[in-house]
Amino acid sequence: MNHSALFLQLLPEAVIVLTALVMLGAAVATGKKPGGEFSAGVGVSIATFGILFAAAAMCFVPQDGATSTPLLVNDALARIFKAVVLGLGLLAVWLPPARREMRNLGEYYALVLFALTGLLLAAGSNHLLFLFVALELASLSLYLLAGFPRTPRAAEASLKYFLFGGVSAAFMLFGISLLYGASHSATLSGISHALEASQPSLLAMTGLAMLLAGLGFKLAAVPFHYWVPDVYQGAPATTVAMVSAASKAVGLVVLVRILQIGFPNVAGSAAWGEMTAGWSLWLAVLAAVSMIFGNLLALAQTSVRRLLAYSAVANTGYLLVALSANGPKAAAAALFYVVVYGLATLGAVAVTAAVERDRGDDRITSFAGLIHRSPFQAVCLLVFLTSLAGIPPLAGFVGKFSLFSHALAEGGGMGLAWLVGLAALLSAVSLYYYLSVLKQAFVKSAEDVDVSTPLPISHRLCITLPAAALVVLGMFPLLLIGPLAKALATMVP
Amino acid sequence: MTPAWTLISAFAAALIVLLLPARAAMASRVVALVASIIGAVAAGSACLAKLANPDAAPWSFDREWIPNLGSRFHLAADGLSLTLLFLTGITAIAGVLFSWNIEKRPRAFFAFFMTIIGGVYGVFLSRDAFLLFVFYEIVILPKYMLIAIWGSTNKEYGAMKLTMYSIGASSLILIGLVAAYAAAGATSFDIAHLAAATYPPAMQAWAFPVLFLGFAVLAGIWPFHTWAPTGHVAAPTAASMLLAGVVMKLGAFGALCVAMPLFPQGFEQYKALIAGLAVVGIIYGALTALSQKDLKFIIGYSSVSHMGFILLGLAAANHWGLRGAVLQMISHGIIAGLLFGIAGRVVYERTHTRDLTELGRFDLWKSLPGAALAFTLATAASMGLPGFSGFVAEISVIIGLWQVYPWLTIAVAAGIILTGVFSLRALYRAFFPEREAGAAPPPKLPPLTWPEISAMGLLLAVSIAIGIYPKPWVQLIDDGLRSPLFQSILSLP
Amino acid sequence: MLLPYFIFVPLIGAILLAISRGISAKDAGRFASVCSIVSLMLAGYGWDAIREWSLPWMPDANIALRFEMDGLSFLFVLLVALVTLVAISASILKGKGDRAYFALILVLQSALFGVFTARHFIPWFLCWEMTLIPAWLLIRLWGGSGAPKAALRFFIMTLGGSAFMLVGFLALQLSAGTMDFDALGKLASQGAIADALAKSFAFTGMTGHTLLTLVALAVFLGLAVKIPIVPFHAWLPSAYAEAPTPVTMLLTGLLSKMGVYAMLRIFLPVFPEVLPALAPLLTWLAVATVLLGAVAALAQTDLKRMIAYSSVNHLGYCVLAIAAVAASTSDRSAMSSAISGVVLQAFNHGIIASALFSGIAILETRSRGQRGLNDFGGLRAQTPVFCGLFGIAVFASLGMPGLSGFIGEFLIFNGAFAITPAAAAISVIGLLLTAVFLLRMMRKVFWGPLKPSLAKWQDLTRDEKMLFGFLVLLIAIPGIFPQVLLHFANPAIVELLDLLRPIP
Repeated sequence: MNHSALFLQLLPEAVIVLTALVMLGAAVATGKKPGGEFSAGVGVSIATFGILFAAAAMCFVPQDGATSTPLLVNDALARIFKAVVLGLGLLAVWLPPARREMRNLGEYYALVLFALTGLLLAAGSNHLLFLFVALELASLSLYLLAGFPRTPRAAEASLKYFLFGGVSAAFMLFGISLLYGASHSATLSGISHALEASQPSLLAMTGLAMLLAGLGFKLAAVPFHYWVPDVYQGAPATTVAMVSAASKAVGLVVLVRILQIGFPNVAGSAAWGEMTAGWSLWLAVLAAVSMIFGNLLALAQTSVRRLLAYSAVANTGYLLVALSANGPKAAAAALFYVVVYGLATLGAVAVTAAVERDRGDDRITSFAGLIHRSPFQAVCLLVFLTSLAGIPPLAGFVGKFSLFSHALAEGGGMGLAWLVGLAALLSAVSLYYYLSVLKQAFVKSAEDVDVSTPLPISHRLCITLPAAALVVLGMFPLLLIGPLAKALATMVP
Repeated sequence: MTPAWTLISAFAAALIVLLLPARAAMASRVVALVASIIGAVAAGSACLAKLANPDAAPWSFDREWIPNLGSRFHLAADGLSLTLLFLTGITAIAGVLFSWNIEKRPRAFFAFFMTIIGGVYGVFLSRDAFLLFVFYEIVILPKYMLIAIWGSTNKEYGAMKLTMYSIGASSLILIGLVAAYAAAGATSFDIAHLAAATYPPAMQAWAFPVLFLGFAVLAGIWPFHTWAPTGHVAAPTAASMLLAGVVMKLGAFGALCVAMPLFPQGFEQYKALIAGLAVVGIIYGALTALSQKDLKFIIGYSSVSHMGFILLGLAAANHWGLRGAVLQMISHGIIAGLLFGIAGRVVYERTHTRDLTELGRFDLWKSLPGAALAFTLATAASMGLPGFSGFVAEISVIIGLWQVYPWLTIAVAAGIILTGVFSLRALYRAFFPEREAGAAPPPKLPPLTWPEISAMGLLLAVSIAIGIYPKPWVQLIDDGLRSPLFQSILSLP
Repeated sequence: MLLPYFIFVPLIGAILLAISRGISAKDAGRFASVCSIVSLMLAGYGWDAIREWSLPWMPDANIALRFEMDGLSFLFVLLVALVTLVAISASILKGKGDRAYFALILVLQSALFGVFTARHFIPWFLCWEMTLIPAWLLIRLWGGSGAPKAALRFFIMTLGGSAFMLVGFLALQLSAGTMDFDALGKLASQGAIADALAKSFAFTGMTGHTLLTLVALAVFLGLAVKIPIVPFHAWLPSAYAEAPTPVTMLLTGLLSKMGVYAMLRIFLPVFPEVLPALAPLLTWLAVATVLLGAVAALAQTDLKRMIAYSSVNHLGYCVLAIAAVAASTSDRSAMSSAISGVVLQAFNHGIIASALFSGIAILETRSRGQRGLNDFGGLRAQTPVFCGLFGIAVFASLGMPGLSGFIGEFLIFNGAFAITPAAAAISVIGLLLTAVFLLRMMRKVFWGPLKPSLAKWQDLTRDEKMLFGFLVLLIAIPGIFPQVLLHFANPAIVELLDLLRPIP
C-alpha cells in the first residue's frame, strides 16, 4: 500500500484534527484581543463545518478491501459507525455545553473534536494496541471535557471518570500484553489463529478477561459503572452526549470486533444447563448484573441525568445479552440498538438541557408542565423516553425486539431464554421510571406559570433530528439494520 | 371500502387532530367521530360482503417489512377479525360521542383515543406476530395518558398500575413470541408459520404459560385482574369504555389467535387450570362487585367476571367454546361500554358522585329517566337475559364447557346467578332507590344530550341485534374458526 | 305473514310513544289503545293466514326463534289484547299514567303476545323475561307508597323462579340437544329425555328419573311463582295492592295466565315421564292454593287485596285441574274435561278479574283513593247502573251458572272429581268461601243505608258504561255459549292429550 492510499484512508480523521487545530488557533487569536471572548457560535460553526467536511471526506475513502490493514480497516462496519459517530458528534456539538457560561470554549470544542478523532480511529481498527491508543485519545479528551466547567460537581465527575478510566486503561493494557504474550500477536486475526491452534491457555483467558473489564468500563457495565452517574450529572451536556452516544457506540463496535474476529472459539456458552467458561458466559453475567442494578437503581432517582445514567447501565446490559449469544445477527441487532439508544439518550439529554435552562435544575419535578411550557420539547421527550422503554412504533422497540429474538435464536437452542426473559422483564420495569418523567411532563402542571425561553436553532435541531430518526427507524428499521447485518455477515470470516 | 380503512382512518385521525390549531375542540371531535364512523362502516361493510359471499378469499395485505427479523407487514381479515373490527368501530363511535363534552386538551385526548383505536384495529388485523405485538404495544402509552391526564379517583395510581401490568404482561408475550420464533428456525414471525412448526413438549410446557399469561393478564384473568377495576375506575369514561370494551379483548384475542395455536400441547396441559382460574374469576368478580359501593367499581369487577366467560370458552377449546368466547368478547365489549358510558359519563357528569347511597339522593329514574331505562336494559344484558348479546355468548360457552368440564358448568351457573344479584343491586340502589317519605326532593339534573342518547342507542341496538339474531355473527365467527390456525386446538382430545 | 308481525305492533307503538315528545297523556292512551286494537286485528287475521314462523338462531344447537299460533295460543292472544285494551281504557278513565306508562303497557303487551305464541324456549323465555321489566316499572313507578318494596319483591321472586327454569332448560339443551317445546314433547312421549339426561349427567351418579324430576321441579318453580301457587305467592298481595289498578288487571289477568299457559304448553307435554311422581305434590299445592286464597280473601278489608286473593283462589282451580291431568293415567274424558276447564277458567278469569278491578278503580276514583270494605255502603240506590254491572261481574266470579265463571269451574271439578276426588272435594270448600266473601262485599258496598259521604256520587259516565258494558258482554257470551271459546281450543287440547298418553 502506498502512502497516498493510507492518507486517503485517514482523510476524515485528518479533517477533524485539522478542524481542531483551526479551532485552537481561532481561540488563541480571539483570546489575545483585549476583552475578547471566543463565542460559542463560532466554535459550533467551525466544528459543524469540520464534521460535515469529514463526512464528505468519507466518500473519498477507498472502499475496496485492498487498502485494509489490521491497523486500519475500512470494512462496512467501520464505515457505518464512522458515519454514526460523526452524526452523533455533530448533534453533541450542537448542544449548548453547560448551564452557565463556560470559559475557554475554543479549547472545549477542540477537545470534543479530538475525542471524535479517537472514536473514529477506534471504530476502524483490528489491532489491539492501536485500538488502545485510539480509545485513550478519546478517553483523555472526555476526562477533560467532563471537568470543563470547573464546578465542584464537574470536578468530581471528571476525577471519578479519570480515576476509573485510568484503572481500566491499565487493565486493558495489561490484558493486551498478556494476550500478546499468549499469542505473539496483537492483531485480532493473529490472536484468533493462535488460539485456534492450541487449547486456550490460562494466560490468554486472563488477558481476555482484563481486556473485557477495560471495555466494560467504556460501556458502563456493572461493576465498572461507578463513574457513570456522576459524569452524567456533573459534566456539561455536550460531554454527556458524547459519553452516552458516540463513545458507547464505538465501545460496542470495538467489543464486537474483538470478540467476533479475535475470540470466536473461546466463547464458551451461557446457555442454561450447559454453561461453559468463556466470554459468552462472562458477558451474560455482566449483562444480568447490569440490567438488574441499572434498572433497579434508576427507580430511585430524582435527577433526570442520574436516571439516564442508570438507564445507560441497564441498556448496556441489553447490549451484552445480544453479544453473549455469540452470533452475527444478534451482534448486528446490538449494533442497531446501540445507535438507536444513542439517539434517544442524546435527545433526552438535549431536552434535559433545555429544561435546565428554564428551570435551573434537572430534578424530575422540574419537568412538571413541560407540555404546557413547550409542547415541542414534551412530545420529543415522549419519543425519546418511550423509545428507550421499547414501545412501538419507535426504533427502540424494534431494536430491543430484534436484539432479544436474535439473542435467543443464536444463543444455542433456547439456552439463553433465562437471560432474555430477565431482560424482557426488567425492560418492563424500566417503563416505570421513564413514565415517572413523562408523568411530570404531561400530567402534572407546574406550580408557577412559566414560559420556555426559545431555544437556539442548533439546540432545536439537536432535539428534532434524533426524534425524527427514531420514528423513521422505528417504522423502517431496515434502513439501518439491513446494512449492519450485511456488514457483520461479511466481517466475520 | 376494504378493512384497511379501519386502520388508516384511525391513525390518520390521530395525526389530523394533532395538526389542528390549539383548542380546536369541535373540530377534533368531528374528526374523531368521522374517523370512527369510517372505521365502523368499513368493518361493517366488509362483514356484509363476507356474509353475502362467504367463499370469497379474505382481504389481505402482505408486504416485505423487516426481512432480518422475518417479519412482514401482513394484514388479513377473516370473519373473526371482521366481527371484532366492527365491535371496535362501534365502541369507538360510542366513545367519541360519550366524550363529546371533553374540554380539557381535546386535541390530545382524541389523538390518544384514536391511537388506541388504531392499535386495536391493527392487532385484530395482524397476521404477523411481530406486527401484532407492535400494535399491541402501541396501545399502552395512550392508555396511560388518557387515564393519568383525564381520569378521576386516584388516577395516577390507577394509570401506573394498569401500565405496569400491561407492560409486564407484554414482556411475557415478548419472551413467548421470541421463543417460538427461535425454535421455529428464526426465519419468520408469520403466525401461520409459527403455528405450523412443531415445538418440543418440554418447551411448550414453559413457553405456553408464559405467552398465555402475557395475553391473559390483559384479559383480566384471576388473580392478575387487579389492574382492571382500579384502571377502569380511574379512567375517563371513553377510556373505561375502550379498556373494558376492546383493550381487554386484545388479551383474549391474543390468547386465542396466538398463544393457543402456537403451543397446542402446552395448552392441553394447562387448560384445566385456565378453566379453574376462569371460574374463580367469574365468581370472585361477582362477589366483589356485590360488596362495592362505587358504581364504576361494580362495573369494573363485573368486567372481571364477564371476562371469565371468555377464558372459560377458550379453556373449553371446542367449537362451541371458542365461538362463545368470541361472542362474549363482542358482547361484553358492547355492554361494558354501555355501562361505563352511563355510569361514568351520563350520570357522573351530572351528579358528581358514583357512590350508590349518594346516587340514591338523586332519584335518577325521575330526574334522568332515559339513563335509568338504558341502564336497566344494560343490566339485563349484563345479566345474560335472553334477547341480549350476553345470553348468546354465555349459552355458547356453557354448551362448550359442558362437553369438557360438566362440573364446572354448575359453578358457572352459580356465577350467573351472582351476576344477576349484583347487577340488580346496583341498578336498584343507584337508579330506583327507596326514598324515605319526606326526604328532600331530588335536585334537577340537565337532560340527556343527543350525543349521549345516540351513543346509548347505538350500543343497545347492537347488543339487542346480536341477542335477537346471532346467526350472521355466528357465521362470521365460524368462518374465522375454520382457519387452519385453530385446527390443532379443536382437534385436541 | 302476520304471525310474527302482530307481536311487534305494540312494541313499535311503544317506541313511537317514547320518542314523540309533547303529546298529552290522554292522546298517548288513545294511541296505545289503537295499537292494541290493530294488533288484535292483525292477530285475528293471521289466525288463519299463517300459523307458523321460524327464524334460525343458532342452527347447530337446534335453536330457532319459532312462533306458532294454534287455537290455545289464539285464545290467550285474544285475552291479552282484550285485557290490555281494558287496562288502557281504565287508565284513561282514571286519568292515570303518561307517555312512558302507556309505552310500557304496550311493551308488556308485545312480550305477552310473544309468550303465548313462542314454541321454542329461547324466544319464549325472552318474552317471559321481557314482561318482567315493564311490569316491574309499572308497579314501581306508578304504584302506591309501598310500591318500591312490593315491586322489588315481585321482581326478585319472579326472576329467581325464572333462573331455576333457565337452569332446567339448559340441562335439557345440554342433554337432549334441543329446547324446542314440540321437539321435547316428541322426545318425552318416547321416554327419551330421561335417558338423555342420565347419559349426560352420568358424572352425578343420579338416575334419569331423578334428574328429570329435578329438572321438572326447577321448571315448575319458575311457573309456580308466576301463577302463583302457594307457597310461592308471597309477592302477590303487596304487588297487586300497590300497583295502580289497571296494572293490577294486567298482573292478574295476563301475567298469571302466562304460568297457566306454560303449564299446558310446556310442563305437561315435556315432563310426562315424571308427572305421576309429581302429581300428589301438585295436587296438594293446588288445594292449598284454593283454600288459602279463599281464606285470605275472607280476612281482607281492603277490596283490592280481597280480589287479589280471590284471584289466587281462582287460579288454584286451574292448578287443581292440571294436577288432576298429571295424576291421571288413562281417563281421557276426565282429562279432556279438566284441560278444557283450565282453558276456559283462565280466559274467563282474565275478563272477570278485569271487570272487578275496573269496578274497584271506579270506586277508588270517586272516593279519592279509598278502597276499604267499610268505606262504602248503600251505593245501590245512588249508582244503580254501576251496582248492576258490578254485580254481574261478582256473580260471574263466584261461579253463577249462565255467566262465564261457571263453565270453567264446572269442567274443572268434573275432571278433578273423576281423578282426584279427595282433593276436589276439599277444594269445594273454596267455592263456598268465595261466595261468602264476594257476597259480603256486595252487601257492605252496595246494600244497606247510604253513607252520607257518598251522597254526591254520580252514576257511571258514558265512557265508563261503555267499558263496563263491553266487559259484561264478554262475561255473558261465553257463559251462554262456551263453545265459542272451546271451538278454538279443542284441536289443541286434543293434540295435547295425544302427546300426554300415547303409550297405553
